[in-house]
Amino acid sequence: MSTGRCEVGRDESMSDPTTPAISIRGVTKRFGDVVAVDDLTIDIREGEFITLLGPSGCGKTTTMRMVAGFEEPDAGDILLRGEDVVGVPPNKRHVNMCFQNYALFPHMDVQENIEYGLKLKKVGKDDRLRSVQAMLAIVRLEGYERRRPGQLSGGQQQRVALARALVNEPAALLLDEPLGALDVKLRKQMQLELKRIQNELKTTFVYVTHDQEEALSMSDRIAVMNDGVIEHLGSPREVYERPATPFVADFVGVLNAAELAVSSVDGDRAILTINDRDRVVAPTLGQQLPTGTLALVAVRPERIEITRGAADADGGSRLSGTVAQVVYLGTLTQFHVDTAAGRTFVVHQLSTEGSDAIDAGDEVTLTWPVEDTSILRVGAEA
Amino acid sequence: MNPAISTGGRRTLWVMFWFLVVFLYAPIIILIIFSFNDSEIVSFPWLGFTTKWYHQFLQEPALLSALKTSLLVATMTSVVATALAIPASIALVRRRFFAKGLVSGVMLAPLVIPLVVLGISLLILFNAVGVPLSPFTAAIGHVVIALPFAILTMVPRLERIPAALEEASRDLGASAMQTFRLITFPLLVPALISAFLISFTISFDELVIASFLVGDQATFPVYLYSQLRLPERLPSVIAVAVVILVVSVIVVVTSEAARFITERRLEAQTGMAADEYGSLRGGKG
Repeated sequence: MSTGRCEVGRDESMSDPTTPAISIRGVTKRFGDVVAVDDLTIDIREGEFITLLGPSGCGKTTTMRMVAGFEEPDAGDILLRGEDVVGVPPNKRHVNMCFQNYALFPHMDVQENIEYGLKLKKVGKDDRLRSVQAMLAIVRLEGYERRRPGQLSGGQQQRVALARALVNEPAALLLDEPLGALDVKLRKQMQLELKRIQNELKTTFVYVTHDQEEALSMSDRIAVMNDGVIEHLGSPREVYERPATPFVADFVGVLNAAELAVSSVDGDRAILTINDRDRVVAPTLGQQLPTGTLALVAVRPERIEITRGAADADGGSRLSGTVAQVVYLGTLTQFHVDTAAGRTFVVHQLSTEGSDAIDAGDEVTLTWPVEDTSILRVGAEA
Repeated sequence: MNPAISTGGRRTLWVMFWFLVVFLYAPIIILIIFSFNDSEIVSFPWLGFTTKWYHQFLQEPALLSALKTSLLVATMTSVVATALAIPASIALVRRRFFAKGLVSGVMLAPLVIPLVVLGISLLILFNAVGVPLSPFTAAIGHVVIALPFAILTMVPRLERIPAALEEASRDLGASAMQTFRLITFPLLVPALISAFLISFTISFDELVIASFLVGDQATFPVYLYSQLRLPERLPSVIAVAVVILVVSVIVVVTSEAARFITERRLEAQTGMAADEYGSLRGGKG
């Protein structure tokens, strides 16, 4: 099922692994006075699972719709496997999309839905049936050919939508918050399924979501978007542990941040002293940090060790404080601690029999290793 | 039981409802009764049961030819009005364009323009351009008044077809025309049937515009109206009216039932979208 059914550059560019599946170059899109996407540049590699993550209105869906051809950029280029597709209508672009509410054709059964694209490409009946069967096996819906979309559950409809897009062997599959309509349990299950299907087919997946957990659990790379620009592009681990900006840090998870002055730099680590007991130590990562500059430093709640009374930091950060609140969350227990840094820090600890020993009002010490501190910003907020 | 309505209030509503039913349907019942009365005078007392008026009208060539003219005019009207309403409603629902409110106002204006005014102005227009009056000119006049109804029938249906279906079709390789043919049109069929029947009914019993524009081939309402001058013709006119009434009720009820069933079936299959719309529509589901 792979003979010349594509409109946009497959043959030679396919064999060159360095050509990105999708290349977005300096793309800008305005709606009236609103700049939805602002001079955005990104290369999406062949075969990767990339997520555009951001709050609603950040431009992630607009970006995806420009790749699919439903919106045209006001400036910039979009290349699919090396060929410029700006101005090419959606039906002539070799990408396919999974829509938020699946958009299955209600008057067609599963078989007709899936073979829709192949029929339009004039694929013969036998080939069509074979492709549909292969896809149904991949999405695990064998035997559902004659069902109508209305007779399927949400998860099954989602699988049909995937099959309908993937059967066309697109250069990239675009997924627009595809799991948004499912309940939590099904959503987790479909996350794993999506990842499995992507591994099996090695198709480039471009996934749009506002759910950071979804992004972290499935992606090879995440592009965190805000106000039409990519604030951070990196692996889930990088984005989570070393967020490039305060926005990324905040959006990708609960974050403890405080603005402190640099007291000294010792090799590759900066020391931000608060008083003779409390200090934050951060890796400089090559940044110039003159003594006295303000830096916004951050640490994730689950990286912090909480100890009653005093504790040794062992060269890392140490903050003393008073527990303001203890929240039991099942597996985790959350402590809200008013710290010497002048901010309330949130600490997550696995709930053990010991962790309920710390109560509100207790004096505690928070400690964490050097590499868990990230410097989000140097200098005061503009 | 509605907690917002007291027992007394419910009784009042009940009385009003039956008053309305009687008010609407009593004249029709009386019409049916008198169509079987064995008397040339349409009035009580009842002089016996007869079906002779029904036999009589079947032997009236002028009446039959008026019926034929009306069927012709109504068919032309509904075909043209429905065909025009498709692109018009798609533009109104799917496209965003300058002064959309104004455009939709202009398209729906015939709803509020008095028929006499419309009839006279079309008559003047046809005279000025030199088009001879005929069933065709009457059909043109009827298209003007039927089009708004056809559009208003199709717009809600089109609004319930998620635009994402059309985008999905384009995304899967269909051109705009293929998308219309394979997706939009099949889902729009129930509304097309409704629009067709509504246009047909509007044209079929329209008197004012037809009397201005039809020329010497009277349509059925024009013929009926002219016969009212002749008292001895009245009973058979009534008999025809009853036949028309019964036939049109059967046609409209069956087609609406068919439309309701197909829509229910389609909506059950639209999955998510249907659920949302279903709850919006409230009672009908």
